[in-house]
This record gives sequence, structure tokens and C-alpha cells, in this order.
Amino acid sequence: MTLARLYRSLRRHAPLVGNFVDKDLKGRYIGSTAGFFWSLVQPLLSLATYTFVFSFVLDSRWSAQQPTSQVVLMMYLGIVTWGCHAEIVTRSTGTLIDNGNLIKKVVFPSEILPAYISMSALANLLIGVALVLLGTLVFGYAFPAADPTPPDWLPSPGERGFEPLRLGLSLLSVPLLLALHLGFSLGLGYLLATLNLMIRDVGHFTSALITIWMFGTPIFYPEAMVRERGFGWVVDLNPMAWLVEAYRGAILFGHWPEPLMLAKLALVALASLWLGTRFFFKAQHRFADFL
Amino acid sequence: MSTQHGAAATGRERSSAIYAEDLSKCYRIYRKPIHRLWDVVFNSRSYDEFWAVRNVYLDIPHGSTVGIIGENGAGKSSLLKLLTGITTPTTGRVEVQGRIASLLELGAGFHPEFTGRENIRLNCAILGMTPEETAERFQRIVDFSELGDFIDRPVKTYSSGMYVRLGFSVAATVDPDILIIDEALSVGDEHFRGKCTNRLNEIREQGKTVVFVSHDMGAVKSMCKWVVLMDQGKVLEQGTAEQVADTYLKRAKARGNERLSMVHRGKSEYPRWGSGEVEVVHFEMLDEHRAPTHVIQTGRPYSIRMVWKAHRECANPVFGVGLYRTDGTYLNGSNHQWREQPIELQRVVPGDEGEVEIFVERMPLQHGQYYLTLFLYDHSKASPTAIDHREHVLTFEVLDVDRAQHGMIQVPSRWTLTRRGPSGTSALESQR
Repeated sequence: MTLARLYRSLRRHAPLVGNFVDKDLKGRYIGSTAGFFWSLVQPLLSLATYTFVFSFVLDSRWSAQQPTSQVVLMMYLGIVTWGCHAEIVTRSTGTLIDNGNLIKKVVFPSEILPAYISMSALANLLIGVALVLLGTLVFGYAFPAADPTPPDWLPSPGERGFEPLRLGLSLLSVPLLLALHLGFSLGLGYLLATLNLMIRDVGHFTSALITIWMFGTPIFYPEAMVRERGFGWVVDLNPMAWLVEAYRGAILFGHWPEPLMLAKLALVALASLWLGTRFFFKAQHRFADFL
Repeated sequence: MSTQHGAAATGRERSSAIYAEDLSKCYRIYRKPIHRLWDVVFNSRSYDEFWAVRNVYLDIPHGSTVGIIGENGAGKSSLLKLLTGITTPTTGRVEVQGRIASLLELGAGFHPEFTGRENIRLNCAILGMTPEETAERFQRIVDFSELGDFIDRPVKTYSSGMYVRLGFSVAATVDPDILIIDEALSVGDEHFRGKCTNRLNEIREQGKTVVFVSHDMGAVKSMCKWVVLMDQGKVLEQGTAEQVADTYLKRAKARGNERLSMVHRGKSEYPRWGSGEVEVVHFEMLDEHRAPTHVIQTGRPYSIRMVWKAHRECANPVFGVGLYRTDGTYLNGSNHQWREQPIELQRVVPGDEGEVEIFVERMPLQHGQYYLTLFLYDHSKASPTAIDHREHVLTFEVLDVDRAQHGMIQVPSRWTLTRRGPSGTSALESQR
């Protein structure tokens, strides 16, 4: 069984994986002068940029319906969720080629490469989530934001479902969401890593795909807006959209994930991981030849 | 990590460290990159085959030191990759018993962005060592490498010598059961090379298996008792170092001759000048069997022969030959008059012809490429003038398989050694 093989290998090579993750995180947080600071500032910068573009320039209706603090937290959570996915997928795509020296010249368990990347990406995501939790505490409890006075054309707060920020038991579902998230992204990572060895153009394809995919995910605009305009299928078919919504519900508003969505997500994540690793392992004995 | 790929331990107990049966590796050369994908997904067959290794049988017993030798492109590295399990064989199988550490190429297994320290950890982890085992050996590896402060810099800043030092330190300190070394030792300074040789000897004394790969017969012969000679992916011969060295030498001679005579077939691009009263119409080197050759072995007899013809009258033509190393270093020059018993040829007239032959009992040069320059000068005038001067008239190669001495030339010598002590007095002597 493919997944069991992956699990066994990761357990056996745990010290090796640890080495890579350690080096990766250190490189990110210690290597540069500002180090750790950047991992927070980078999403914050993109948050500022996108808030400006979507809320002020394009006047997306999100800002009118919800207090700014909520919009900011929702966007930030969306950005870090997406960032984790994008990091796993794009870095995995190039990782076999980047580490060709190891694969070609020593007996190297290449399956640990996308795995270590996803662990390192997870660490970043966790930092982001922690920051959002802090924000929820601050803006939900310490300085709760009142429902902004709506413009005349909007229905009253109760009718349009204004909700205060709330930490709830639903936080318990976050580990499950994280697991499904990683499974989904990692599966894609394995698939693209293998494909990229066979056709080097896959790398370019991946970066294009990631950009398009990002704008097809409700990170900077509310999901409802897409549905209103008749593009509901875009989010219905996009597991990342499900994930972003589920994270937001669970972390910011105390909503448990919908069971149906969870089932779909689990199915997609498992399928992705299974297909990706299967394809990877099937071609693995020839990686050294491909490089 | 007990590396066992291919069919693992069969029913019977094997005493071989490495056992390979009908081992072949075929690389697929795809006409278009996309064919790779079709091949993996649909098993389509749109590729050309290149057999890097073909039907190799190997049985390397525990505790032996085996050399694998062959020209560049003979399939040595491909074979090693199969033995270590980096690539999978197209046909056949490999059985390996014990942990393999390999030093395949310069910087193999290093991550360029990692520091020396981190690469040591990485390599130990790749070799399947636990963090405790790594910690235990860590300092020894660092000490052995003698890299000093460089150990904390990324290996991409290393020189090739430093790469080898780090690589060898790891490979030699992890206590492998089988150590595979691919001519990496030829890089690095004399001091470190000596240390490596010592360490290798220790490893051999501990009864570990060492596989040594090179295209230098001398190096292999000095290390290994059993040698495998490869050519074009196949094992041409395997046997004791002496047997295989013989075959290797014949082949190297044939190959060197072929290559060098090819060079001489074309019109010489080197300068030739002189007044032309006498012409050297033919110039060659002969081996001990008086066969023309371009390859000579150190310590063996050879001769240089030329055929001359006089076109006009000349008062005192003198034949001379200069010997140079390919970098232009002038090694030796002589002519038929500068001798204890000079030859007096005197006046030659049109129509005269003859031969000159210089016999040398022992080739004093060691391994390398050299060339000869012809000096035919008229010594009847105040200063010699050129009659027929040919730069670079012949290029030849010297092969040295015994490596009895190091350096550029072989000096025949006699050694004596005496010892006086409480246990008695002895005088030892070596004639050759």
C-alpha cells in the first residue's frame, strides 16, 4: 500500500527529515537579518496591499458588511492558508531537480523531499494561525468591534447575519483541517515533482496555475460575492475554497466544519495523496536516470 | 543500514559482500522530452537504447580489495551506481551485504547550501545512522577533514580538494562494511592523500571490503590484488592484478598507437626548416620487437630510427634528436658527434642515403606524453646551421604500470640498509 510505504519511510528517515526541516526553518528565520520577522511581515504586507486594492480601489462589498478588524483577520487567515498550499506545491515541483546531486549520486530517499517541504510550510502556517488567534482574542474580546453602521441599501445586521468573532470548541477541528490540507497539497506536490522530472515545462505551468488558482479562491473577497455573480461552481469545485472557509469558520467564528464538506475534502485529500505518491513511487527507481 | 536491493537474501548463505548476476543497465535516450512521460505512463517505446553496463557477473568476497579499471566511458561509474543502488538494473540483480559508503564523484551527496557540519549530519543520516551514532562520530569526522573554519561555511564555497576531504572523512569514518571509491583520491594534497591511504589500509585490515575504481592501472595495481577490466559496458577480463595489467597494457598500447598514429597521419602543423642538402625522409620509434610504435613502457628498450637521403653536397651533416615533455620542457638532446666515441660521417654527396638508429636500453621516463624534435645540422661552419630541423617530429606516450618509483624519471639504483642492535647485525641489499 502506497500510503503505508510513505509512512514507514518517513518514520525510518525521521532524523533526515528533521535535518532538512531544521535547515529550512533556520535558513528562513536565522539566515536573514530580520529573520523570524519576515515570516510575519510578508503576509502582513500582502494583506495591506490586497486590502488596499480590494477594499478601497475595487470597493469589494466585504468591507461594507463587516467591521475592518474581521475583514483583516479573514484575509490574513486566507493568505497564510493559501501561502502554505502554494509553498508546498511550487517548492515540491522543483525539489527533485534542486536536489539532483543527492538523488543522482547517493542512495537517497527522495520521498522525504516534498514531505519536509510540507512540514516546513506547516510551521509557517501555524505561526500565521497563532497570530490570527491572537487577533481573535484582541478584536473579539478585548476590543470587540461593533457592527458598522450599514449603508441604507443593506438590510439590518440581524438579517444579513453579522457575527462577532468568537473562539469556540470548533478549534478542535483545526488539526483535522490541517491534516486534510497537508494531504491535499502534498499529494499534488508529489505528482508535480515527478512530472517535472519528465517534462521540465511543468515548473512554469505550476507557477501560472498557482496564480490563477489563488484568484479563484475566496481569499480577498467573500465567497458569497462569487455566488451572487453566478460563478458559484468555481468555489464548489475548489477544495482550497472549502478549506479557507472551514478554517475561517472554525478559528474566527466558532463554527464546526460542515460534515458534507468535510467528507468531500477528506475524499479529495486522500485521493490526491494516494495518486500523487503512487505516481511518485512508480517512477522513483528511475529518478536518477531522468536527472 | 543493511542495503539489500534486488532480490534480497536468498535461501543459501552468501559469503560475498557484493554479488551481481547478469547485471545490465540500459539508458533510454528520448528523441523528445515528452516521450519520457509517455514511456512512464503508457510504456511506449519511443527511445533509443544505450547499454552502459552489459551482462556483468561479479562476486566480491568479504574483506577483499577489488579494483575496477577501464577507460573513460567504459561503464565503471554506471556499474558503481548499480552496485550502490542509486540506479536500478535493467536486467539482473545485485546483492549487497552490509552498509555501503561510497565516494562516487566530487561533492556527491553534498547539499551546496549546507555548511560542512550540516552536510556531515546529512550524509550520516543518508547512510542510515541514528542521531546518537552521528554524534559519536561527529568530532572524528571534523578532525579528520582538517577543514578548520571552513567546516562552518556552505560547501559551495569549497575548493575541489576540500570537497574530497570532507567526502572522504565522512565515508571513511562511518565504519562502512563496504567502501566504494571512484578515483576521488587523485585530488587533494600529498599530505591528505597519505592520510587517506593510511585510513584505507586500516579499513582493509579490519576486514572490510574496498572497491576502488580508476582509469590509472598503476594506482589500481598498487592497491588491489583482484582487478576487473571493463570496456564498453562489459567485463573484459577479471583476475589478479598482474594478469589484468597485462591485458590492459596491450589494449592501452593499441589504443595509444591508434590515436597517436592518427595524429601523425595528417600533415604536420609544426615548423620545419633548413637548407635541405640532406633530408630525413622517414622517422619512427621502434619497440623491443622492432615494431613501429608510439607507446613505450618505462624501463623497456626502444630505439629511434630515421632514413635519410642527400640531395646536394654537404660538408658535415650531424643528426641529433631532442626529447621534450608535452608542456615544452626540454628533457634531453644528443647527436652522433657529442659522444665519447664520436661518429665521423664527413662529406656526403648527392645520391648518398642511409639510416640512423639510436638504441636505448631502458626507457627512463615515467607515465606521460612526450615528443621528439629532429635536429639535422651542418657543423662544418663556425656555428651549426640547420639542414633539416623538424619540430615535434613524433609524439609518443610512456606507460608505467609498475609505479616502482615516483616523479618524472626512473633512476636505476641499488639500495643498502644496515642494522646494528642487541639482536645482532644485519646488512640488507636490493639490486633493483
